[in-house]
Amino acid sequence: MLTSCDVSSLVIDKLCDQATGRRAAVSCFYFDFAAQKEQSPTSMMGSLLKQVVSGLEEIPEGITQAYEDHQRVIDGRGLKLIDIVKMLQTTASEKPTFICIDALDECVAGYRVKVLDSVNQILQRSPGTRVFVTGRPQIQAEVEKRLSTRATVLHITPRRHDIIGYLHTRLGEDTKLGAMDDSLKADILKKIPEDVSEMYVEASTPE
Amino acid sequence: MDGAGMHEVPQRPHFSSASRNSSAGGRLPPSIIIYNTRSSKIREMSQSFSNNINSWNTTVNNVTVADNRSNLLAWLSPLNPKVRHQDIRNRRVEDVGEWVFQTEEFRSWHAGSGGSESDKAVLFCYGDPGVGKTFIR
Repeated sequence: MLTSCDVSSLVIDKLCDQATGRRAAVSCFYFDFAAQKEQSPTSMMGSLLKQVVSGLEEIPEGITQAYEDHQRVIDGRGLKLIDIVKMLQTTASEKPTFICIDALDECVAGYRVKVLDSVNQILQRSPGTRVFVTGRPQIQAEVEKRLSTRATVLHITPRRHDIIGYLHTRLGEDTKLGAMDDSLKADILKKIPEDVSEMYVEASTPE
Repeated sequence: MDGAGMHEVPQRPHFSSASRNSSAGGRLPPSIIIYNTRSSKIREMSQSFSNNINSWNTTVNNVTVADNRSNLLAWLSPLNPKVRHQDIRNRRVEDVGEWVFQTEEFRSWHAGSGGSESDKAVLFCYGDPGVGKTFIR
């Protein structure tokens, strides 16, 4: 109903909407347990660069040059992480940049160190860069340490309004005609948000 | 076509060779006479042909540029997080979670404070992934 990736996608959309007017760059990444192998630091950071670059009218010369050099070499390899970071440092110093990373805890621990160090290098160069991260609370300390900064922390729990909005949508999708009448609907809309709120209060009580 | 262009016509190589022929033989071979009377028509046709070629080249160039661009982007990374983003956004329920934008945490992170000491570049959000999905399906 309101998972971390829902919040990430909501935030990314919001930032993208605003970015058009502000000429900002928004790049995102969703980590996923099921895709741990292919989500290496190089391809992950490369995909951030790809998103920034595809929003530019002209591809920066340094990148075009690197691509052409690579094409001249038989069996030429892709960019190295360090090159990608340098390119991101350059683009981030030229326009306001947002980096959104969802479910960072689903990234392999060894990869996570490299990802965070790379983001940190971008922040060192352009402190105005905004980094949005979601993940389990256990990784907060690691994020702060690697990014050598204190993070603003926000706990995501569905609010009453979210629950009601969700129920309205799901009830609207009900395919069993006649099973639902207005009074049952009203009961559901009243009872479930109360019960769920209680569950969340219990769930979020400190251990 | 402008006047200068028209003036150039007699300077063209085939004309000079035609005049050499005429001084040598005293008479223009019939094929050259026909060629001369038709030359303006031929020039017109070749002009339109080359215009077509030019516009075709422009199209080809544009396609090549677009192709290069997408090859370059694919080279930067094989991953496409925007696809995943689109999936999630399609199944998201309208308005749910909008309160996030009203929080002080989001606002101050988003606005930033221009690199001052108190500026926090990182917004860390944690939830309990899956909780919502498990409770209500």
